[in-house]
Amino acid sequence: MGGFFSIFNEDLLVATIRLSTPITLAAVGATVCERAGIVNIAMEGIMIIGAFFAVVVAYYTGNPWLGLLGGVVAGALFSMIHAVATITFHLDHVVSGAVLNILSFGVVRYLMVIIYGHPGTTEPIAKGLAEYKFAVPLLSKIPVIGPAFFNQTPIVYLSFLTVIFFLIFLKKTKTGLHVRAAGEHPLALETIGVSVVKMRYLAVLVSGITSGLAGAYLSIENSVSFTEGMSNGRGFIALAANISGGWTAIGSWLASLFFGFADALQIRFQIFKVLPIPAEFFIIFPYVATVLVVAGLVRRSRPPKAVGMDFMIEREED
Amino acid sequence: MRSRKSKDLLLETKNIVKRFPKVLANDNINIKLFKGEILSLLGENGAGKSTLMNILYGLYKPTSGTFLLEGEEVEFSSPKEAIRRGLGMVHQHFMLVETLTVTENIILGNEPGKADFIDYKRAREEVLVISERYNLSIDPDAKIETLSVGLQQKVEILKALYRKAKILILDEPTAVLTPHEVEKLFTVIRKLRDSGVSVIIITHKLEEVKAISDRVYILRRGEVVGERKTSKVTKKELANLMVGRDVVLTVHKEKKEITAEPIFSIKNISVKDAQGLMALKDISIDVRPGEIVGIAGVDGNGQSELSEAIMGLRSLEEGNILYGNEDIEHLSTRERRRRKISSVSADRQRYGLILPMQITENLVLGDHDEPPFSKGINLSLDTIHSYSEKLVEDFDVRTPGVDVTAGTLSGGNQQKVVLAREFSRDPKFLLVSQPTRGLDVGAIEYIHSQILKMRDKNSAILLISLELEEIFSLSDRILVLYEGEIVKELIPEETTDKEVGFFMTGGKAKE
Amino acid sequence: MKKAKLKPIILAGVFLLGAVGLILYIVSLFYGLFFILAAVALYFLYRWLSTDKETVIVEIRKFLKNLTIPVIGISAAIVIGAIIMLISGYDPIKAYRALLYGGFVKNWHISILNATPLIFTGLSVAFAFKAGLFNIGAEGQYYVGAMVATFLGIYLGMPPIFTIPIIFLMSGLVAAAYNYFPALLKVKTGAHEVITTMMFAHIARYLSSVFIRWMGGDSAGTHPYVTNPILDANWLPRFKGLFPDTNYRLHTGILIGIAVAIFVNYILTKTKFGYEIRAVGHNPQAARAQGISIGKNIFRALLFAGFLAGLAGVNQVLGLDHKLFENLSAGYGWNGIAVALLAANNPIGVIFTAILWGALDAGGQYMARTVQISNSIVEIIKGIILFLIVARYIYSWVGNRIKRRKQLASEGAK
Repeated sequence: MGGFFSIFNEDLLVATIRLSTPITLAAVGATVCERAGIVNIAMEGIMIIGAFFAVVVAYYTGNPWLGLLGGVVAGALFSMIHAVATITFHLDHVVSGAVLNILSFGVVRYLMVIIYGHPGTTEPIAKGLAEYKFAVPLLSKIPVIGPAFFNQTPIVYLSFLTVIFFLIFLKKTKTGLHVRAAGEHPLALETIGVSVVKMRYLAVLVSGITSGLAGAYLSIENSVSFTEGMSNGRGFIALAANISGGWTAIGSWLASLFFGFADALQIRFQIFKVLPIPAEFFIIFPYVATVLVVAGLVRRSRPPKAVGMDFMIEREED
Repeated sequence: MRSRKSKDLLLETKNIVKRFPKVLANDNINIKLFKGEILSLLGENGAGKSTLMNILYGLYKPTSGTFLLEGEEVEFSSPKEAIRRGLGMVHQHFMLVETLTVTENIILGNEPGKADFIDYKRAREEVLVISERYNLSIDPDAKIETLSVGLQQKVEILKALYRKAKILILDEPTAVLTPHEVEKLFTVIRKLRDSGVSVIIITHKLEEVKAISDRVYILRRGEVVGERKTSKVTKKELANLMVGRDVVLTVHKEKKEITAEPIFSIKNISVKDAQGLMALKDISIDVRPGEIVGIAGVDGNGQSELSEAIMGLRSLEEGNILYGNEDIEHLSTRERRRRKISSVSADRQRYGLILPMQITENLVLGDHDEPPFSKGINLSLDTIHSYSEKLVEDFDVRTPGVDVTAGTLSGGNQQKVVLAREFSRDPKFLLVSQPTRGLDVGAIEYIHSQILKMRDKNSAILLISLELEEIFSLSDRILVLYEGEIVKELIPEETTDKEVGFFMTGGKAKE
Repeated sequence: MKKAKLKPIILAGVFLLGAVGLILYIVSLFYGLFFILAAVALYFLYRWLSTDKETVIVEIRKFLKNLTIPVIGISAAIVIGAIIMLISGYDPIKAYRALLYGGFVKNWHISILNATPLIFTGLSVAFAFKAGLFNIGAEGQYYVGAMVATFLGIYLGMPPIFTIPIIFLMSGLVAAAYNYFPALLKVKTGAHEVITTMMFAHIARYLSSVFIRWMGGDSAGTHPYVTNPILDANWLPRFKGLFPDTNYRLHTGILIGIAVAIFVNYILTKTKFGYEIRAVGHNPQAARAQGISIGKNIFRALLFAGFLAGLAGVNQVLGLDHKLFENLSAGYGWNGIAVALLAANNPIGVIFTAILWGALDAGGQYMARTVQISNSIVEIIKGIILFLIVARYIYSWVGNRIKRRKQLASEGAK
């Protein structure tokens, strides 16, 4: 049993942070998006788009930083389709999200065949972002949490900044207040002269950027190539993290950490073969955890009142 | 009083027309508003008052026509511009974000602070300053959801004043207030007028027009049908202008002796509301066949909990409900309906009808799984169809056919569909909540006569209404509900609306 | 009186001609189309006899009107697809010719084979949608159905007349049971089915690998690949026996799919269960106030949706593959969603949209093989079609713009 407990070490925490990073990014995006009233189940697809374009740009420019930018921009642009469909064309949010996921699989496969000549996995890029790992002086020397939080790769740090930024954004800023009002009582916001449409577009854009970043993490930081289906349900787990975290940035982060932990744990269980059962039983562990956590926590907090609801004023004869 | 020199003219509309896909909401409206006056817009539901104000406020765009603000032609493409030019509006349904604080709601859109950061300290001070200036004291840190309706309205008014409104539009401001709160509101409005704010009140209540306004425009079916000085007009004249014909304000109700034993009895029930607070405290009500018992009260005193408890949509903390000789408090809604208990819900669009479904389907909702409407697992579509055609005929539902969806009907016809369904199943006990909310006079008269018909058919009827007039014209007995308790039982012929109003607002009996 | 006698005969004619035409068409005997058209014409005759002329005309007009948006959407998607191909340096005319010829003529049997599982998953998603629920995890229920079908297919040695119905029923029931937990969590805790069924889909995906290894797959490597084959007796009958010229792989699952679609349509429109499902889907509060249990209907809808998706798995195992392959991204769930959305959740419509989807895939492969244009363009065209049809509001938005401009023009003329 010594082998079993030896799993719980510093490396587990490091792995937890790494594995939770894409979920954290997307979950914070989901928080902002849902606080503005838009449900975005397209994040899975946006992640895939972000991951793919990050690799493509990095592959052609040889610069992973440009790849990161490419992934973010692609994710942002793709998310705008969701915004146009749900906000301007009043399409049901969940339906639009599902359609975008389907579209993302198609777009990526098509471009992959055109660019690389085959579906499946892309050629590896020369240099991934993982090579830019750096330790923050002093802080990384703190025992246990130092290496996990302060000796990491770039997008991991970016994810911390994202959490802090949107925590402040939602709580302290004018725009954040408007975003929150758009998701609680959109007409109230419109009647004092702030455009609900603008706030909701902004919020979807935020979720597009963070999901694109999450995708870039998967392809050019955690790996050096893109594989179809590599997001593996993380977009949905991020939604679950947002709900479990009570629609707050900090809550989303904590829930994401938990899901990352579940993932890190199952990988260790697999590697060390702690139980004589097929590896798949470990792989499903994070998914089971997600269901249980959502079921256990969903009643604890209140979703934004107007989330998922269409907003339309018959200003003209439309 | 105030002279009407053109320099005092603040706002003027010129030939405003607003056409919606289905209706002509405003037809060539010309009105004027002068500085420092209180103006009423009087009209029935659907007369086009709110539409007109929403146009002024920049929420809607007029189909044609213009308006002048201080002599200058303006066109607002969003409320933002209207607010900047000094318009403020308090909507009938409050535009307050419930999860935010009073301060946050008031400053929303005009937040003080550098860059994008909100200076909460300054915001709080500014809110305190204006609330003191206008005698509208309020806790700036309270969350909206914890405030009473009257206080929420205060926040709405403060919101407009914070934006330095010169014209304040109040849409049906007294609909949700207790008489005492109404008095306080009127005091505030007068104070605002004296400090130079012009006020427009949208209402369908004649008393209100008389009590507060200087001048009144009467709207009917999208047109202005008259303009009067309130000091020189009678209620009767206003009513005739508003409705377009002589109105009989009370229906003819035959007095009769009711001796039968109660068929429906609520015995000492207590019920909690959605927040877990006690909404009904130890209430008992008896209803006898052929009798209408009216529940009078201000909104939010336990009415919705009472109707939900009766229909099995909310569980009892204590007490029993007796129907005939049977205890029914443990029965499901379906079981209760099966025993010939009917209910007309207060909110027909949310609870009464399924708008995207056909009239036929709505007319059998709840009875769809019983003969003659179903046989085995199959619906008897032909039976449902012919039944629906009969009901549509009997209840005078104006519709192109029974296969259209309920959502395409007007409000009055929607309510007739609900009535047709609930009244045609020979109910022995009938719960009727707010049967005429939002309807015009014609529909109200019709619905009242149908309710009295059910009384003549010996149904036991419990009527819950916020309209005191309705309670008076229909009920055999009046029970006053206040803060979840029945505080008084009265006989309509032996009391006055003043007395009922007194108990509705917590007045104690002087016995 | 004469009419009354004539009506059942005509109706019988409709069914007979329709069924014969359908089967002929399915096995690539395209003159079956004439039978189908004759059946349609007879049907309208029947309607004319049972009601009056105006009603029939109204019905035909309504039917055609319902087709306008799909037709516009598909045409627009074809145009956009052509532009994309031009940009990527392909010849769109050559591509479309191959695509259509391959999908609807040459490899029509592959289109049918592709479409069959999509009919089931599409019905699954559509049925749940009617209750206001989104069964996004149909793929998971597919795997559960396929696993049970494989297991029973290997071990159940009885005459096929017993085994095949038993396998369909049992697999469907277990797949329905798999949706019990999402339904329970939805009713008891309010956990959204989009998240729970999606997570359950991932779980089923991985469990299928375990299952395949257990049923004879490669136990050493990371991928188990494939199970042992099922008993020959448990194969679904094929058309080959009756029509020797047809492709040997074409099995009768499509007929089961069509029958199930008609059954689902019947449930939804003619029975009290369907009525309650629709009532809860449109306005749960009103349904509840009139005594319809919301929870009960959530269970019914999700369990039946699971059942239907499970049948898709059975169909693939008994009809086409005769074993269970490890296929971690088969996409039956997502494509089922697409098919349901395209059909606006109409069960009969699902049959056609599933065949369209199947034909696009089959035609895409043919196109890739014959004119060397990547079939992945098909994925894009599918996405665009879906978007242009689902976003119906675009059309009323454009329509209103045009109407408004006309109105302004006529007002200006005055």
